Amino acid sequence: METETIQSDETLDLRGLSCPMPLLKTKKALKGLKPGQILEVWGSDPGSKNDIPDFCKKGGNDLLDLLDAPEGYTRYFIKKG
Amino acid sequence: MSEPTFTKSSAEDIRSLYAAVFEKQWPSWLAGILIALLAILIFLWNVPWGIAGGYRNWGDWMLYAMQLRGARPEQVPWLQSLSVTNFGLFAGALASALLSRQFRFRGAPLFEYGKGAIGGILMGTGAVLASGCNVGGFYTAVGIFSIGGYTMMVGLGVGAYIGLRYLLWEMEHLPQQSGGTTPAKTATGTDWFRKKQYLGGGILLLGVIAFYLYAAYGQAQIGGLLFFGLLIGVVMHRSRFCFVRAFREPFMTGDAGMVRAVAISLILYGVGSAVIKWSWMQPPEMGVFHPFWIGSLLGGLIFGIGMLLAGGCASSTLWRVGEGHAKLMITLVTFALSNSTVNQWMAHSGIKEMLGSGFFLPQLISWQATLPVFLAIITAWVLWAAWNEKSEKFVIF
Repeated sequence: METETIQSDETLDLRGLSCPMPLLKTKKALKGLKPGQILEVWGSDPGSKNDIPDFCKKGGNDLLDLLDAPEGYTRYFIKKG
Repeated sequence: MSEPTFTKSSAEDIRSLYAAVFEKQWPSWLAGILIALLAILIFLWNVPWGIAGGYRNWGDWMLYAMQLRGARPEQVPWLQSLSVTNFGLFAGALASALLSRQFRFRGAPLFEYGKGAIGGILMGTGAVLASGCNVGGFYTAVGIFSIGGYTMMVGLGVGAYIGLRYLLWEMEHLPQQSGGTTPAKTATGTDWFRKKQYLGGGILLLGVIAFYLYAAYGQAQIGGLLFFGLLIGVVMHRSRFCFVRAFREPFMTGDAGMVRAVAISLILYGVGSAVIKWSWMQPPEMGVFHPFWIGSLLGGLIFGIGMLLAGGCASSTLWRVGEGHAKLMITLVTFALSNSTVNQWMAHSGIKEMLGSGFFLPQLISWQATLPVFLAIITAWVLWAAWNEKSEKFVIF
């Protein structure tokens, strides 16, 4: 799937937060979604680049894409499994 | 295909080495092994590794500078061994963050600064009670067979659980302050990237030069600590090695990776320190002063809550400061100030005697029994975490 065409159902802006808050809030937001819905997370903590993919793999969610924005944060597209 | 010249081939190899070291994150188990080796070298070189003692020295000086402390601190920060290791760790992490293009001043929402400050105060206090932080009071203590290390480990686990419970409560009940409050600054000029990398390389080089300078002035032992700290800083930053994770993750995501990494590290360090102590290369009871059991348990508990609020322990606060996290800079300051203050107060209050005293495991149950007991406890921890990773029995969120 092309990242530009991903329609996220919810966007979570976690820029400025550091470990463990990004992962906690992502987990919480995913709980509120139905399977198949897509969560877009904006994060700026470098640790999230490994934490979020690992968490998705473990929790059965699908990380569709991860995109570095030029402003220095990363956009994660997670499809709830 | 053209014949590769020596310069071309070397340049290619150096580039791929650089990519392997400063672009990909290192596996945590590898970092665990390297940290154990460095901790053993520090033990052989000088005294068992710790961090909070260095923070205390900084706190003493801050209070002295603010005229809140009468007596001038005994040691200057650049000659106090733990303070110098900390400088090294910070500089190593800063250099590593610059070299891997991860350094940036990272602001946080106001609420997070408050959590960072309170987390630092709790950790500073806990580290006084336990006579050490997550490194000196837990990692090193367990590794050098001081029984207080195990009680602090229990305290840290319970504290992490309580701290996580608080974070979950906060997410539900306190207005969400996250998001958009501190938009990352737009990157200016791509050239800056290159400069940052040279700056990172320059800091590492300065660290080595500083070691030679220390040696030239008859302080090779202190200079060596700066050098070892520098290496620990690079290893910790590149692997994002984090003791908080080892205690928090079993309750949060169930992930046991950092438990395994810390356990591997502890086992190696313990075996190394057994060789050093049993052979009398260093006095066997060196560094065994962790108050068993009230001080280390209570200290671990308070420290554990604090490290969850701050999102960093004594060591990961240092390397995160090197990466530019403003929240952890505040934590570092409040940690140092509270550690120094509580320590001064405790020295006059007579409470210290009530907290317990240091016990050396081999003296109580012999070396022969100590090693299997040590290995069994660490192994049990890993097996519990691995089982919990699959069953999520202890995951509370």
